[in-house]
Amino acid sequence: MVSEQPLYDWLVDVGVADEVRFVRKATAAVGLSNLDCKFDESEVNAIEWARLLLAGSILSRSESRRHKEVALTIATGAVVLRSSSEVSDAGAVLFNDLANERSIELAISKGIIPPDLYSRLGTSLRIETERRKVDSSVLVQSSGRHLAVNEFQKEFWLAVSNDNGWLSASAPTASGKTFLVLQWLVDQFRAGYVSNAVYLAPTRALISEIEDGLQSLLIEGDGVRINSMPIRSGQEQANKYARRTINVFTQERIHIFLNSIEKDDSVDVLIVDEAHKIGDDSRGVILQDAIERLNRSNPNLKVVFVSPATQNPGILLEDAPDGSPKRTVDSDFPTVLQNLILAQQVPRKPREWALQIRDAEQYIDLGVLHLNNKPGSVKKKLAFIAAAVGEAGGTLVYANGAAEAEAIALLISQIPKIEKSEDEELLALSDLVRKGVHTRYQLASVVERGVAFHYGNMPSLIRREVERLFRSGKIRYLVCTSTLVEGVNLSCRTIVVRGPRKGRGHPMEAHDFWNLAGRAGRWGSEFQGNIICVDPADTDAWPSGVPVRARYPITRESDSVMNSHHKLNEYLDRMIVGDRADNEFDHQLETVSAFLLSNFLRAGSLKEAAFASRRNPAELEILDEKLRYLSERIEVPSEVALRHPGVNAFGLQRLLDHFQNYDGNLENLIPAPVESFDAYDRFVTIMEKINRYVYPAFMPEGLVPLHALVVIEWLKGYSLANIIKRRISYQEDNNRTYKLPNLIRGTMDLVEQTARFRAPRYVAAYMDVLKFHFLNIGRSDLIEDELDWGVALEFGVSTKTLLSLLELGLSRMSSVILYENIAEDGYSQQGCIEWISEHRSQFDGMGIPKIISIEVDKVLRSRSSNT
Amino acid sequence: MPAIPVTIGGKIFEKKGDALEFFQVMLAKYYPGDTVSDDDSVWLTGLIARHPEAAEKIGNGIRNFSVRRADYNTKCFWVNRVDGTSEKFSYKSCV
Repeated sequence: MVSEQPLYDWLVDVGVADEVRFVRKATAAVGLSNLDCKFDESEVNAIEWARLLLAGSILSRSESRRHKEVALTIATGAVVLRSSSEVSDAGAVLFNDLANERSIELAISKGIIPPDLYSRLGTSLRIETERRKVDSSVLVQSSGRHLAVNEFQKEFWLAVSNDNGWLSASAPTASGKTFLVLQWLVDQFRAGYVSNAVYLAPTRALISEIEDGLQSLLIEGDGVRINSMPIRSGQEQANKYARRTINVFTQERIHIFLNSIEKDDSVDVLIVDEAHKIGDDSRGVILQDAIERLNRSNPNLKVVFVSPATQNPGILLEDAPDGSPKRTVDSDFPTVLQNLILAQQVPRKPREWALQIRDAEQYIDLGVLHLNNKPGSVKKKLAFIAAAVGEAGGTLVYANGAAEAEAIALLISQIPKIEKSEDEELLALSDLVRKGVHTRYQLASVVERGVAFHYGNMPSLIRREVERLFRSGKIRYLVCTSTLVEGVNLSCRTIVVRGPRKGRGHPMEAHDFWNLAGRAGRWGSEFQGNIICVDPADTDAWPSGVPVRARYPITRESDSVMNSHHKLNEYLDRMIVGDRADNEFDHQLETVSAFLLSNFLRAGSLKEAAFASRRNPAELEILDEKLRYLSERIEVPSEVALRHPGVNAFGLQRLLDHFQNYDGNLENLIPAPVESFDAYDRFVTIMEKINRYVYPAFMPEGLVPLHALVVIEWLKGYSLANIIKRRISYQEDNNRTYKLPNLIRGTMDLVEQTARFRAPRYVAAYMDVLKFHFLNIGRSDLIEDELDWGVALEFGVSTKTLLSLLELGLSRMSSVILYENIAEDGYSQQGCIEWISEHRSQFDGMGIPKIISIEVDKVLRSRSSNT
Repeated sequence: MPAIPVTIGGKIFEKKGDALEFFQVMLAKYYPGDTVSDDDSVWLTGLIARHPEAAEKIGNGIRNFSVRRADYNTKCFWVNRVDGTSEKFSYKSCV
């Protein structure tokens, strides 16, 4: 309603501005420890709540974020400051106006307001709030029950239930997006509308989270299988439609999965989580390719994109087939109050830090924070400020890199108030870390004090347990790196950050920073979140100051590369001329070239591609010409190129040329089984050939033997702990010095980035080209179809038993530790289950860590309920 | 001093250097991990018989030969025995 706009503005800017400032300050102070705050009780008692709450109630009707935020501030203050039971009740009613039922439940569970709020209200107000409650709920089809939702959730639910088109939804982090998407998906299965869905998530960590989420929603009678392994057993292929499945994959895994069958038109629904990651270097293109590939198989595919606080969610719908309905659900409303707090040292007093809330253009003085020790370095600043301000737990510290994260966690763990815990779950995690990584890996000792760190290449079982214990509050301080922002649904009470960088050295842009900051405030667990920015005036830390709030702009990686078409054309030209030096390769240009080439090979022109309508025809013409020239030199069939997104077909052709010119014994081109004595040497040769002909993937060249060694050990099913132990012995046997933390991190990096990421991508492509060559020259007798290299490498398996354990849903760490105790290497899933049932009582005696036993029990339980 | 001819696997090399070059070229054409072809194996069988520790190297019998990686990014020949064991040997020691 346009006419009310001036009233909203007046209320916020003038009417209740001063009171709201004070409420903001007093409310924020409640959540911070070791703070000397400059106000007293009498000021809190003097707040004119009736006036404020009326203003809040009016503002809750506005459609603007700024107004809604003030309403939320008033509701939160009324509940948190506990002036009187009437005020708290009224605050709860205001939450109801804001469709924020979860915060009311939180107030009740914390004992701030007594239960049965609605019975205490006067008749007319009760009718009004009950009506709102019905308004802010949706009908779950399969059960006929109503589910309480916020405004975003409601809009999403209505849009997604509407028709079969494409939908793109965007909302801030704590809006309950994932919860609702999963709820909807399960409902669709129950109602019988959907029988096969794919859920794409960018990281393995997120995949486990989604699997857990689905597992908790599904019940025995649903008959829906959740799968995250990109393989199909023969039986499944035979009756593809017999079993209803939700496949949860990364973009790489969906391609491996699709490669295992001829054509798959059975997927009805595709959900793309963290969809803004379509803009990631190289992996974004692979995601785009996956979406296009699924949509080609089933033109009626329903696609749902989900992204956090993005500027332009609608852009994702551009490639929807003609005539397909498109809907955007775009919400920017906060569900939890977020305080952006600047922390600056008081002059001459390194242990005293002045805190200020920054709210739009105004600053609100909060008071002085007292640290335990003088912070002499950047790491100490972060550690001591976090330790002081975040005693209540749920405190996240953002570190620029894994080594820094370890160092900060160690500093926090030494604060006297942070004592060694006797908690069983923390001790079990510590035990798992010692057995699963190394006895002296620092995580083991800090975890015992409720402090942890978290980064990308850590084994997923450990990382998930860290996240779980942080959520439950047992880990009070968590030092993280950008991995956490990249795709783990983890929110916190307080974030402490100074000069955040993304990747190596680039200062975070505003939208990245706010993607991180958005995690402060756990909806339903807390009323507010704090983002503490240390040294805001330091231009080394914050080159453009602490960023003002910005939403994430989605740009497809393929688009941004194609937008700089001069560079792309030049790159293709160099490819045409041939003989590129290693330093002329560029992974962004390479991936997009591969994508375009694969599109051209399939359709004979880019003009048929899904993205063609968005591009300038003249530009496509030039690209077509260059791609035509390249394609005329490519014998590798388009199906092979299509199977390996991100791998350039022209590079594959160079590999094929090599095979064709090879005059030695053809068997020498085949990798040897990992148990064979020549496996290692052959892997070195294969990696060197990939570097030389396809793409310099295993660099630097001198480290190829190390890459090959780790890949072989990984394939043999060695545990991470074992691989680390062997590297240590190697260093010691050769009298080389090493730093344990670096060696551990380096090994994790090799396993994750080489063995699980690059090797599967390139070795699988190598094998496909080799197979094609053997067929061409009439030597199909040389083709052994025993092992799917993509799967074997990503999961680190070369035996049936180990694969079956993973298929059961166990993490690799658990699978490997169990496998070390299993003699038989040919067990099916059933065989594994029988082995486990028989030996479960002996797990303690085998030294199997408790967390692994728990995982095994959980998996067996869900197996028995879903079959 | 006149060159001394060497006979390896029935083939006569006019001088030691020729034999060394012959096996160096042979080694160079293989990638690490390759199994040596049957033709080349005939020469290598003759070669290894000349090794100062031939009996130990051959053990209970030769299955085939391979080329594998050695230190400092070099390659060398390995003899694979019937019993499944393997050992490297230097062609230079044999000539």
